Amino acid sequence: MGWLANKEKRSFAIQLSLALILIAVSYIIVQNVRENLSAVGIRVDFGFLSGEAGFDVNESLIAYSAADSYGRVLLVGLLNTLELSVLCIFGSTLVGVVMGIVRAGNNWLGSRLALAYVELFRNLPKLLILLAVFVVMVNQLPVVRHAWDLSGGIYISNRAMYFPVLIWADGMSFLLLGILAWVPAVFFWGRYVSRHQDLTGKRLPVAWPVAGSFLFIVFFVSVLFGIPYQFSIPVLERFDFVGGGRLSVQFVALAVTLSIYHGGQITELVRGGIQSVSASQIEAANALGLRQGQITRLVLLPQALRMIIPPMGNQYLNLVKNTSIGLAIGYSDLVSVMSTSINQTFRPIELMSITMMTYLAISLVVTALLNWFNARTRIIGN
Amino acid sequence: MRRVVVLVLVAFVLSFASATLVMAGSVLDEIKSSEKIICLVNPNSPGFSTPDSKGVFQGFNTDFCRMAGAAILGDAGKADIRGIGFSDSMKTLVARKAHMASRSITNTGTRDADPGLAFVVTTFYDGQGFMVANDLGVKSATELNGATVCAEEGSTTLLNIADWFGNRKMTYKVENIGDKTARLQAFYAGKCDVLASDYTALLSDRQLAPNPAGYSILPEIISNEPLTLVAQPDQDLEAILFWGFQVMLTAEKYGITSQNVDSIVKDLSNQPKSVKRLLGEKSAVGDMAEKLQIPSGWAYNIIKQVGNYGEVFERHLGENTAFKLERKGTPNDLSSRGGLMYAYPIR
Repeated sequence: MGWLANKEKRSFAIQLSLALILIAVSYIIVQNVRENLSAVGIRVDFGFLSGEAGFDVNESLIAYSAADSYGRVLLVGLLNTLELSVLCIFGSTLVGVVMGIVRAGNNWLGSRLALAYVELFRNLPKLLILLAVFVVMVNQLPVVRHAWDLSGGIYISNRAMYFPVLIWADGMSFLLLGILAWVPAVFFWGRYVSRHQDLTGKRLPVAWPVAGSFLFIVFFVSVLFGIPYQFSIPVLERFDFVGGGRLSVQFVALAVTLSIYHGGQITELVRGGIQSVSASQIEAANALGLRQGQITRLVLLPQALRMIIPPMGNQYLNLVKNTSIGLAIGYSDLVSVMSTSINQTFRPIELMSITMMTYLAISLVVTALLNWFNARTRIIGN
Repeated sequence: MRRVVVLVLVAFVLSFASATLVMAGSVLDEIKSSEKIICLVNPNSPGFSTPDSKGVFQGFNTDFCRMAGAAILGDAGKADIRGIGFSDSMKTLVARKAHMASRSITNTGTRDADPGLAFVVTTFYDGQGFMVANDLGVKSATELNGATVCAEEGSTTLLNIADWFGNRKMTYKVENIGDKTARLQAFYAGKCDVLASDYTALLSDRQLAPNPAGYSILPEIISNEPLTLVAQPDQDLEAILFWGFQVMLTAEKYGITSQNVDSIVKDLSNQPKSVKRLLGEKSAVGDMAEKLQIPSGWAYNIIKQVGNYGEVFERHLGENTAFKLERKGTPNDLSSRGGLMYAYPIR
């Protein structure tokens, strides 16, 4: 057994045997689960997905009725989960960055208040916060028949916030095309301006050409295609407002709860990142005569970001998964529609595995985006 | 390298975890050896199951858990009654972490067809109704076009309202709220116009309102809801639950109550044959006990410790309770009085 003395060969042999064991064990697991399931008479079959769901959901980004399929209602739930997740990622980041800067700053009162906020929200269970926010909103806001009239067709009640929405007209797709063309144009103009500044030292105007070109496109396309700008305005009928758009109380309660809850944790990440930047950097920036805002934007954040972004990924992943507490207060997210579907179809294995795979896919996408962003900030930082 | 080791360890743990699935023996044996029957109820449903000041669940539904305890273990107190939400209770049963559920579960075809659940016997015939605040001025559910309806997330209620409004070409919005506190808060604060649930659940929920007199239940009953005992599939356990319930019906039919059962047993020789079959030593009940391997006095234990069906109904839902639920002329009355409660022959 002389080859055991060779480190490379030994290591290869160990890895090979471990790999073989792993394959054998996973085979046993799959076989075991399959046998157990068939022993109790459970067949895994996804055919039910095309069957009629038969229940309604309280909000949906796409057209949905009770006559649609289980597959469709799961898609509705997924889109609701994504909508809430994206909003809360922005919300919690905004709250966390602002509070983190305040927390690490020199203002004693601000720093203490930020500390109180962090300690309060990271020591309470999020479901409790959610139920408290929901119950307070439902009890304190007026019932729909006495909704607060904020004028301009905006109403607030304990059911939802109602607001006017633009009615889609024929020419609007051209307007969208125009705006889609305008975005890269602005981008190229910005690059041209900075190159021009590098070469000549003169800064060309940015604000008025950007705003002007936008207004020109909107005006030109509107006149050319005769777009009628009409709004659908909510009107109170017997039981509810009809027309316009609505933002339900449960959506707002969830967005607020998750933004504040995760904002508190992001605050600590941001504080840690800022404090990891050496104090002499700030002194140097001060010595150069930079203003406080410039120091934060140009010196502090670019260096702090490198410390902040990796743990941020964890926060975002947790946040996406935490949107599932929406089920408690009637937000039709993926887990909520999954749960109702399981009760109707009794296909927990199929539905839970679909849901798990979906969450896994979302998490992998979030992770990939963060890795990409992390790589970018690293290059800039160096 | 280290990662591989961890993976292998995880895989081993998983394979043992799944291996425990195979060992599931007879559910009845498990109940006997553990000396307790785990029974799931609604955590807060006044009249049906609510914890009393000592934290012990009391109510109409919990008495069927106690019935099972009395029949199988000879002691109604050995029922391990646990409060759990609707969706989770089903999953818990399918996962074999509980023996039975007595929590107003509607027996439907697809649910019964599931191999993980056995629907045994209907203890209560209910139907779905609507509750509104009086100041809304609604007298009939047909006036509810455009209303917002609060309903329990995951229940058959959601399907019934979708059918009912859909059939009448009426529109509505649903608030499918999972948490009961949040749902009732939403309704009593006016976030929803209507609360939809089983008729008796509405009676029970109304007791939790800040002012119960301010709410009324609309006349329309839009569905059939046979609320049924559910067990983990096991032939013997199912038989015991089914016949335990028949004992309660038979006892009511012959006027045997928890109060007078002892004097009837003392005077058994002067009783009608059907009563002898129910309470005698060498009787149909004794035969059944031998075949099912449960205590020979199981029928006596049920009647003595829990009572007959009528007693249980009156104790938790009847005239002397907050619900004042009328039983006469409803499906929940005995068949001899025009109801659907039909005692099967014990012989």
